[in-house]
Amino acid sequence: MEKKSISFLLFFIMASVVAMTYGQSISGTVTDPSGLPLIGVNVLVKGTFNGTQTDFDGKYSIEARTSDVLVFSFIGQKTVERNVENNTTINVQMEEDAAQLEEIVVIGYGSQKKSDLTGSVASVNGEDIARLPVSSLDKALQGRAAGAYISSPSGTPGAGMSIQIRGSTSLSASSEPLYVIDGVPMISEDLSGLFSGGQKTNSIADINPNDIKAIEILKDASATAIYGSRGANGVIIITTKRGQTGAPKINFNSYYGFQTITNQIDMLSSKEQLELMDEAARQDNRDLGTNYPDNYVSDLWGYDPNDPDLQNTDWYDAIFRTAAIQNQDFSISGGTDKIKYYTSLAYFEQEGTQLGTGFERLSARANLDSEINTWLKIGTTISVSRTNQQRTINDNSLYGVVINTLAGDPLMPVREEDGSYADPFNYFGWWMLDNPVLVAEEYKRTTKTVRGLGTIFAEISLTDALSFRHSTSIDYTSLVDESYTPIISRESVNSGANGLGTYGSTEDFTWITENYFSYNKNFGDKHNLDAIVGISYQASNRNFASISAQQFPSDQFVKLATAAEITAASTAGTEWGLASYYFRANYGYDNKYLLTFSGRADGSSRFGQNNRFGIFPSGSVAWRISQEDFLKESETISDLKLRVSYGVTGNQDGIGNFASRGLYGIGNYRSGATLVPSQLSNRNLSWERTTQYNFGMDLGLFNNRLTLTTDYFIKDTDDLLSSRLIPGISGFPSVLDNIGAVTNKGFELSISGDVLRGDFNWNSSFNISFIRNEVKNLVVDDQIISDSHILKEGYPIGTFFLIDQKGVDPQTGNIIWDDFNGDGIINADDRQIVGSVQPDFFGGFNNAFSYKGLDLSFLFQFSVGNEIFNHSRAIYEGLGWSRIGTGFPLPDGNNHVLARDRWQEPGDITDIPRASLEDGNWKEYSSRWLEDGSFVRLKTVNLGYNFPDQILSKLNLSNLRVYVQGQNLLTFTKYTGFDPEVSQNARDPRIAGSDFGTLPQSKSYTLGINIGL
Amino acid sequence: MKNIYITLFAFLFMLSCDILEPEPLQSLDSSTALADAGSAKGILAGAYTLLQDADYYGSEYPLNSELLADNAIFQGFYQSQSELDQKLVPITNLWITTIWPDIYIVVNSANLLIAGVDDIDDPALDKDAIKGEAYALRALANFDLLRVFGEHFDNSSQFGIPLLLEPIPDNDFNQIPDLARSSVEDVYDQIISDLDQAIALTEGSSDTSTMNYWAALSLRARVNLYRGEYGQAFIDAKKVITEGGFSLEENLDDVFYTTDASAESIFELEFNEQDQSAFNTYLYRRDEYNVDPTLLSSFETGDLRKNYFTRLRGRNRTTKYSDNTNSNNFKIFRLAELYLIRSEAAVFATNDPDAGTEDLNTIRNRAGLDDLAPILTTSQYVDALLYERRAELNFEGHRFFDLVRLGKAESVLGLEAFRKVLPIPRTELQVSDALVQNPGYPSN
Repeated sequence: MEKKSISFLLFFIMASVVAMTYGQSISGTVTDPSGLPLIGVNVLVKGTFNGTQTDFDGKYSIEARTSDVLVFSFIGQKTVERNVENNTTINVQMEEDAAQLEEIVVIGYGSQKKSDLTGSVASVNGEDIARLPVSSLDKALQGRAAGAYISSPSGTPGAGMSIQIRGSTSLSASSEPLYVIDGVPMISEDLSGLFSGGQKTNSIADINPNDIKAIEILKDASATAIYGSRGANGVIIITTKRGQTGAPKINFNSYYGFQTITNQIDMLSSKEQLELMDEAARQDNRDLGTNYPDNYVSDLWGYDPNDPDLQNTDWYDAIFRTAAIQNQDFSISGGTDKIKYYTSLAYFEQEGTQLGTGFERLSARANLDSEINTWLKIGTTISVSRTNQQRTINDNSLYGVVINTLAGDPLMPVREEDGSYADPFNYFGWWMLDNPVLVAEEYKRTTKTVRGLGTIFAEISLTDALSFRHSTSIDYTSLVDESYTPIISRESVNSGANGLGTYGSTEDFTWITENYFSYNKNFGDKHNLDAIVGISYQASNRNFASISAQQFPSDQFVKLATAAEITAASTAGTEWGLASYYFRANYGYDNKYLLTFSGRADGSSRFGQNNRFGIFPSGSVAWRISQEDFLKESETISDLKLRVSYGVTGNQDGIGNFASRGLYGIGNYRSGATLVPSQLSNRNLSWERTTQYNFGMDLGLFNNRLTLTTDYFIKDTDDLLSSRLIPGISGFPSVLDNIGAVTNKGFELSISGDVLRGDFNWNSSFNISFIRNEVKNLVVDDQIISDSHILKEGYPIGTFFLIDQKGVDPQTGNIIWDDFNGDGIINADDRQIVGSVQPDFFGGFNNAFSYKGLDLSFLFQFSVGNEIFNHSRAIYEGLGWSRIGTGFPLPDGNNHVLARDRWQEPGDITDIPRASLEDGNWKEYSSRWLEDGSFVRLKTVNLGYNFPDQILSKLNLSNLRVYVQGQNLLTFTKYTGFDPEVSQNARDPRIAGSDFGTLPQSKSYTLGINIGL
Repeated sequence: MKNIYITLFAFLFMLSCDILEPEPLQSLDSSTALADAGSAKGILAGAYTLLQDADYYGSEYPLNSELLADNAIFQGFYQSQSELDQKLVPITNLWITTIWPDIYIVVNSANLLIAGVDDIDDPALDKDAIKGEAYALRALANFDLLRVFGEHFDNSSQFGIPLLLEPIPDNDFNQIPDLARSSVEDVYDQIISDLDQAIALTEGSSDTSTMNYWAALSLRARVNLYRGEYGQAFIDAKKVITEGGFSLEENLDDVFYTTDASAESIFELEFNEQDQSAFNTYLYRRDEYNVDPTLLSSFETGDLRKNYFTRLRGRNRTTKYSDNTNSNNFKIFRLAELYLIRSEAAVFATNDPDAGTEDLNTIRNRAGLDDLAPILTTSQYVDALLYERRAELNFEGHRFFDLVRLGKAESVLGLEAFRKVLPIPRTELQVSDALVQNPGYPSN
C-alpha cells in the first residue's frame, strides 16, 4: 500500500511541473571584497543545475529567465543571491564570511552546513587519514573522534577492527556501526569462512583510504534515525573524492616503510628456566615435605644450567620479523562545467610483522558527474578492488602461531642441525603442540576478495525548491578462501591426514535502490524549510561453497585436485531484505532557531510476522545564541549553539536471517540426509530499540580560532537481542529473544584551536569521552557466559568473573585464594566479579605545526581504566607446574621475566607466588592474570616538507611534498602483554577483553612523496 | 522526455514487493517438518544424528564418564574436562550444561514421532516401526539422563529427572512446560514402559545401526540391572544371547580394529569419513583423554585386552578408536556386555555368588585368561565382575556408573557420597522454578 501511494504522489508532483525554457543571457563580473576579480566563483540558477563558473577575469555568462534567482557562491565568502528581473548585467562584490569557513557536513541523505546541525556529528578530513600506513580506513580513525572507541583487536594485516560509537549497545547482535559509502549502506562484515582462530577479515579494507574525501560519524538519534533499524550503533558516512571543474589534476603518491612489533615480550633464558625448575622441586620439599633430589629437573632433563653452550632460543624473535609496507596511488581528476571526473588506481602492500601474514590491495575508482541539461544530472560512483590476505591461525587455537610461542622452550632450537623443524614433543614444554615457525611458514591460508561497488544516480530538478534523486547500487563480493595444512605438520601427522586442504567461496550480491525528494525553500526573510522524503529497498543474497580434502602427494601440491580423498563438500545460501520509508524536515527561523524531525519505517525479513515493521522517529532543536542581537557583535564569542535531541533507533545486524522461525535442519546419518530440530520459534522477535537523549553545545571563540564541542548523552537500549536461556528439556539451551536493557551514559568533549597563526602555525585538538555502560535488566540475571565473563544487572557488558586472589602469603609463597562460596574447595564456583573491560575514559590529542614549507603533526591516543584478562600469563607464568600430573617435570614451558620477582624466601613480599611442580598456585581463570589495560600511545607522527613555488615552477609541478611518518612509535602502559589494544573476541562485547595468543600490532616507519602535476 | 524518467522511477518504486519474504534455503519450517513417510523417516534418522553429537555419543558422554571414573585422565586444555577429571564438578561445568539439552533434544524428536505419526495419512509409512524405534530412543535418552543427573542407584529417591513426554506445542519456546523432577522409580517405570512398547512394536528388526528389537531388549536388561530387577534383566540378557544370532568374535581385533559392525554388535552408532565422531580427535590428535595408570596396572598377566593401549608422544592411549578418519563406530550395545549383565543378574537374583561365573569365564577365555576358581562370596564376585567389566568395557563409558551402582564409588574413587551424581546445571535452575538441585550441590 505504502509503495503505491508514494508513487501516486510522485506522479502528482511530476504532473504539476511545466516545461522550462530559458530566455535572456546575463553576464557580469564577480570581485572580492577588495575589488579584485574572483576566479572560479560558482554561478547557479537557483533550483536548477544550470550553472557556470567565473573565468580568469572574474567574468561569467549564463542564461536565465526574468523570474530566476542567481546564486553566487565561493569558499570563504558569503553566498549572494540576486533576482534576474530585467537585468542583463549583474556584477557582484562578495563579502568575507567567517562562519562560511566552516565545512559542509555530509549527513544521511544530504548535507548540511555545520552551523545548521542540530544533531551530534563528528567529522574527519580525508587528508588527515589518507596516507597513514594502515590497511583500512577504520584503523585510521583511532583517536580522532570523540565518542568512537576504536580498537585493533589483532595485528594481522587487513584484520577486522572493533568500533563502538557511544558504548556497547548490544549483546549478541552486532555493536558495530553502519557504514554508508557515498550514500550506500555497505556490507561490512567478515565474509570469510576460513578458520583462523577468531581473526576476522575486514571488508572495509576493500576501500582505498586515499580515495576518501571525508568521514562523518553520526552519533545521536537525531543524526542516525534516518537510518532507522540500523542506526543504533551510530553511522559512519564515507564520502569519496569527486572531480572539480578545471584542468586535469594529476596526483601521484608513494610511500615505502618498514614495521616491527610494538612491544617485545621478554622470557627467561634457558639457564634461568632450568634454575626455576630446580627451585620448584626445592620449594616443594620445603613446603610440602616432598623429597626431590637437588637439581632434580635439570638432571632429569640432562642439562647443566651453567653450561655456557646451552641452547637459548628466543621464540618471539623466531616468529616476528621486520616487515615491509608500501603504497602507490595515482589519481586524475578534473572536468568541464558539465562533466567532472575523478579516477584513481592504487596499490597497497603490507607484510605482516609475524611470519606468514600479509595483505595486498589493488583498487580502481571512477566517479563521474554529468549535467545532461538544466534539470537533469547523472553520475556514477564505481570502485573495484582485489585484496589478498595471508593469515596464519592465531588466537586460542591448537595450532596458532603466537599461542604456540607463548611458553616456547628455550632449550628447543627452531630447526635441528639437519635443517628440519624441531619437534616440540622431543623437548620439555607441554604447551607447544607444533613448532610455531613451521606453522607460520608452511601452512597456507589465503583469502582473496574481488569487490565491486557501483552506483548510478540521477538528480532531477523539478522546481526551484524541489528535486528528486534516484540511485541504484550494487555491492558485489566474490571471496575465495584457500588453506593448506602441510604433511610435515603435527596437525596432519597426528590425524594421519597426509596434508589437509580446504577451498571455500562466498559470493555476496546486495542491491539497493534509493529514491527521494528534496525540498528547500526560504519563506520570507526568516523561514527556511529543508526536507526530504524517500523510499529504499535493499536485498541481499549470499552463497557459500566449501570443500575439504586430505591425502596429498607432497607439500609441493596444495590444490585440491592433487588430493586423493575429498572428505567434505557442501554449498549453502541465505537471503535477507529490507524495505524502508523515510523523511526528514529541517526548519530554521532566522538562523537562530533550528528544528529537525526525522523518521524511518523499516521492514526487515529477519523478524517475526508480529514485528516486521519498526518505526524510528527523532526530533531535535538547536538555538544559535550567537545569532541573537546581544551576542551578534561580541568580539569573543563568535559561535554559540545549544542542541537537544531525542530519538529512537534500532539494531538488527548480526543475527540470523531466519532467527524468528522454528526450524528443522538437515543432518547426516549413514550417508543419508536426516531431519533435526535446529531452532525453536519466536514469533515476537523484534528490533533492539535504542532511545537516545543528547544535550550538546558548540562554542566558537575569537572568530572561531578556538572551538569547543561538548555532548552529554543517555542511550537506553531495550529489547536487547541475545540468546535467552530456556529450559533445556526443550532440547535447546536458548532462543534468540529480546531479553533485556542496557544503558550507556556519556560525556564527550572536543576542543580545537589555532594556538599560533602566522608564519609559524600551530593547531591543536583534543577529544575525550567518558562512557558508563550498565546492564539494566535481564530476563535471566546472573548469566555466566564464558569461563571468564558474566552478564549481570547493575554491571557493565564485559564484566570479568574470575576466582580472586588475595595475594601471596609472605611465609609460604603460596597464593591465598578467596574461597568465595566457603565450601573449602577452590573451583569455578568461587568466581566473582573482579573488573570490567570498559574504560573510564578515552580519546586523542592531535597537534599540527607548520613553518613555511615544513610541517609536523603528531597524534596521541589514550584509553584509561579498562582491565585486560591476560590469559597468556596462565601459560607463560606456570612457574613449574605440569598438566601431566602432580610433580611431573613437564611444565607448559618457559616463564615470562615476571617470574624473576617470584617468592623465594620466607618474608618475601611479592605478587608472584613460589615455583612449584604442583598446581596449587595456578588457576587458569583467576584474577592473578587480570591487569590494568590503560595506555597512552603516540599513534602517528608525520614530518613533511612542501617544496616552494619557485622550485615547483622550475620542475613544472603544482605540488611536491616529501615526508617521513611513524605509526605506534611509543606506548606508555603498565600492561605486561604485547599490546593493550589487542583483544580476543573483540566483536562480542560480552566476552571481549581477553588476550590469549593474539598477534600484536606493529609500529612502522615510512618515507613518502606526493607529486602533483 | 521527462515523462519517460518519471515512469521509469515510478516503476522502480513498485519493484521488490517480495524482498521481505525470503525462504530459508537449507532448513524446513518446523510446522511442516512432519508431513509424510519421508519426513517421518528423516526425523527418526535425525535422532541418530543427535546421538552423534560430540557431547553425547560422538565422544564425550562415554569419555567423560571415564574421566569421572579411574579409567581416563585429562591432560588437555579444557577446563570443563579437567573439572570432571578432578571429580569436583561445579554447577557451571560446561559439559553438564550442554549435555542436558543435547540429550533432551533426542527426547523431543522421539516425542514428536510418538505423538505425530498416527495422524499421517501415507500408505508408505510403517507407523509401528517408526513409533517403536522412537520409544526405544526415548528410553535410551531418559536413561542416559538419569545415570548422570539422577540418583539411579536408589529406587526410593525423589531425585529423578523431569519426564517430558509430549512435543513442545508449535515448537514455540513460550510453551515449554516447567517440569519438576520425577522420582527415580517413576523414571524407571517410564523407561521400562517405553521399552515394552518398543519391543512389542519392533519385533523382527535387526539393523545394528539403529535401536532395533535386540537393542531395545539389551537396554531393558541394562536398565533392570541398574534398578535391581535382576530376574527381568536375566531373562532379557539371556534372550539376546541365545536368540539374537550374535556371537562373540574370537579375535578382539575384529571387535576394535574395524570401522564396521562385528558379529557381536547389537547396536553401534555408525560413523564414517563424511560423518565423523570426535573419538580419534580427542584420543589421538589432540593428546587430551589419556589412560589412567591404574587401569594399565590393573590387568592380570596374559590378559589380551591389555594390548589395546599404546604409547604415543609420551602419553598412554586406548586403541579402541584408532581409525584416523574418526570412522570407528561407537558400540552402544555389544554381546560381551550382555554376558556380563546375565552373569551379574544371575548372582543377585539367586544370591549364589558362583551363579554368574560361567558367563564371566566366557568373556575371560576370549581374552586369553583361564577360568576363575569357584566364587565363594558376593564380595569376591563383585571384585571379579568389576575387573571383567573394566577390562572389557573400558573407554566404552560404563565404569563410573558400575562403581556407583555397586556401591564402590566412595571407596575406589574417593568420592564424597553426594558426588555420585552430577549437579543439575546452574542455567537450568535459573530458568525453572520447579527444578531442584541434587543434595550437596549449591543451587546458585
